[in-house]
Amino acid sequence: VTAAPTTDRAGGRPWGALLPEPVELPLAEIGRPRRAQTLEEHLATYGPRPLHGGRDSDVVIDRLAAAGLTGRGGGHFPAARKWQAVRDTTAATGRLPLVVGNAAEGEPAIAKDAALLSLRPHLVLDGLAVAAETLDATECVLWLHDDAGPLWRRVENALDERADAGLVERPVRLVAAPARYLSGEATAVVRALSGGPALPELRDLPAAFDGVHGRPTLVQNTETLARVAVLARSAHRPGPSTSLVTVVADGRRVVAEVPDTSTVATALEATGALGAVPAAILLGGYGGQWLPWSTAHRLPIGPAALRAAGHSLGAGLLAVLPAGACGVAETAALVRYLAASGARQCGPCLFGLDALAATTTDLARGAGGRTATRRLTAWAAEIAGRGACNHPDGVIRMLRSALVTFADDVAAHAAGRPCAAAGRPPLLPTGDGAS
Amino acid sequence: VSRGAEDAGRLVVDPAACTAVGMCMHVAAGVVGSDGWGFPVVPAEDLSGDAARRARRAAAACPRHALRVVPPRS
Repeated sequence: VTAAPTTDRAGGRPWGALLPEPVELPLAEIGRPRRAQTLEEHLATYGPRPLHGGRDSDVVIDRLAAAGLTGRGGGHFPAARKWQAVRDTTAATGRLPLVVGNAAEGEPAIAKDAALLSLRPHLVLDGLAVAAETLDATECVLWLHDDAGPLWRRVENALDERADAGLVERPVRLVAAPARYLSGEATAVVRALSGGPALPELRDLPAAFDGVHGRPTLVQNTETLARVAVLARSAHRPGPSTSLVTVVADGRRVVAEVPDTSTVATALEATGALGAVPAAILLGGYGGQWLPWSTAHRLPIGPAALRAAGHSLGAGLLAVLPAGACGVAETAALVRYLAASGARQCGPCLFGLDALAATTTDLARGAGGRTATRRLTAWAAEIAGRGACNHPDGVIRMLRSALVTFADDVAAHAAGRPCAAAGRPPLLPTGDGAS
Repeated sequence: VSRGAEDAGRLVVDPAACTAVGMCMHVAAGVVGSDGWGFPVVPAEDLSGDAARRARRAAAACPRHALRVVPPRS
């Protein structure tokens, strides 16, 4: 065992931290955050990467299970169970397994995967390498939006560095994902890598059992892979239990790593985003939940504790709705964006989300009439669970939470009284994917 | 095992394949319903007996091959 430093030199953070400090990424575009960590710096920070494979495979999977690592793309499925399913299917079928790093971060407000890839690309590549060795995959794919030019260059540079340093690793193939909201949905990834369009589809079995060209396929999010890289090294030093959050407040976006023991309030404080008392928080993502500040502020951030409280950290969005803003108008903008970002394959989602978007928009303008809420509630129940993927279910979750959280505003707007804020531009980005 | 149990199954729609032709609602009225846009709404639970037989007819009638009867959950 090679001695490794116990703190991260860059920021004096405990060993195993993913990000040295909060990083601000403009909402309009990712831009070019500070330079990437070089391979040399990466190894000095985290120590050498232990090799895995063969009998060591159990060690890695056991460690993922012991750490309770869940998929950080939003679904929070236990990583160890996915890895075990790939191993079991490989053994049972003799098919070649495949490891896919999913970096197609679709939510326009969220930038944690972009932050990791641009600042700590070697952590993500380590995670891919550990997965490939553990599962005995002969190659890896990194699935990355085709418009993410700066991220491509940073990953390519990092791969070059590793080759130049003589690291012997399974090859990593960079594959361009269409820059759309749903390109990172797991079945869309599998379908695209099997030669089809990058659109979700109804599948009988998860990718671990029946993935790319029928091969057992591990699809794991960027942050999850970075956490694998830390856990693979953590035999004698359990790393800190943390989560990456993207905080959007007051027109700023900050990605930060916060301890899982944080609350929503302390996480916002850590990113300097807590000014005046907010009205509400959008938790998880656009398909997440609006919660009034009185409930949200003391919720734990850790995915397990949050789940126990009946919520989900999703992909880690914490968006602040300031007092005086109109939550109904903000919700209408999100539903319009999500309706336009669907794959346009499934009738219930295609027609249903359009209807929800139009009625929520009317409601915010005070033109929905007294039946608007009843219609929204009935349509939501009718559409739920009827898409090939979970896209409509996320929209419905967010919309239902808005009807509860902003119940007073909803009642006022339904009675024909729009609020002054309803005409303002939305606080959250509803960018390119909506075209 | 009774014949009813052999016939039991669950009706599944592939919503991406379905284009709301509506044959299923004709041949399996009472089992397959319609939403406000003419797309089929199928029972989530296992079907048996007459309902299962009609579900199979609906699956066979779909010109888009968007319906399947899969083994029951229980």
